[in-house]
Amino acid sequence: MSATQTDGADRAMAGKTSIAQCWSCQGPVAQGQSFCPTCQAIQPPGNPEHFAQLAMEPTFDVDLAQLEQNYFRLQRTFHPDSFAAKSAKEQEFSLRHTTNLNDALKTLKSPVLRAEYLLQMRGAPAAGGPEKTVNDEGILMEAMETREALAEADSPSDVEAIVAVAQAGILDCTTDLSVAFADGDLTAASALTLRLTYLFKLDDEAAQRARILSRSA
Amino acid sequence: MAYSEKLIEHFENPRNIGSMDKASSDVGTGLVGAPACGDVMKLQIKVNDEGIIEDAKFKTFGCGSAIASSSLVTEWVKGKTLDEAGEIKNTEIAQHLALPPVKIHCSVLAEDAIKAAISDYRTKAEEAGSGGDRELVSEQAAE
Repeated sequence: MSATQTDGADRAMAGKTSIAQCWSCQGPVAQGQSFCPTCQAIQPPGNPEHFAQLAMEPTFDVDLAQLEQNYFRLQRTFHPDSFAAKSAKEQEFSLRHTTNLNDALKTLKSPVLRAEYLLQMRGAPAAGGPEKTVNDEGILMEAMETREALAEADSPSDVEAIVAVAQAGILDCTTDLSVAFADGDLTAASALTLRLTYLFKLDDEAAQRARILSRSA
Repeated sequence: MAYSEKLIEHFENPRNIGSMDKASSDVGTGLVGAPACGDVMKLQIKVNDEGIIEDAKFKTFGCGSAIASSSLVTEWVKGKTLDEAGEIKNTEIAQHLALPPVKIHCSVLAEDAIKAAISDYRTKAEEAGSGGDRELVSEQAAE
């Protein structure tokens, strides 16, 4: 290990307070700062963490109005139009910032994606793995019965009843998920996230079925 | 994506769709799936006194590959012993239907379903006594 490498490691260890150099004026820029305090040049986006990016607390219970408000404010700050007269490098940074903001909004707005993201942040694997297969007799039976009912539903009111069940389930599940995250019970949160995904999928398919039935009616 | 003729054939004319009485002592039921993706698969077997699978039924909600995989398995297991049926591998299903790589998990689901159905039948037989004992003995002898 050479002396310079140790030096670099020390700087990285300092974590939140680590200082980088502005690419334009070489002045100091704290990690996470998007503009150089000396020359005001836009900085490349760091490792994007969705909550921090949109200036939100990392919690499941996000205030959606606040989320959108922050998003639009930040979009205005970084919008490529504001950098049209700047160098190619600054234009590229602005584009990368806005892309990250879009990704962050998309993830945090959706309860399912937000829950999956929180689980990942806290190092808890999402239940069911990549294929989302489960070994839970309860949810499998429920899914089979509901799907059978949906397949047999031949009037819009039958389907509406299933949609109502799905939507009531989504509400309950979201409440439970909020409690599980607040209690730090990641095992429960993981199972509930999978259940919430299932309920949204069901709601979606019931709505599709309702459209088909109303067309043929 | 191009699907094989065999796959399309099973999808358009699925074999053995239906349900059997889950509570019946000679019926084994396997329920597997990924409800979050909209996939649920139920596979049931009816086993006779000689331990041979006499009949098989399935009900699958999911993509065409999942339907074809379960349909194929119900065809394959009929006439087999429980041990033989338990040896069916997802790779054989995937190969037979020429499943595209992104659909391999459908064949895994079908293998899981038949294994779950066999295990359900064996648990029931064990609990019921006589029939199950014979099963257990033959299994132990094989080991």
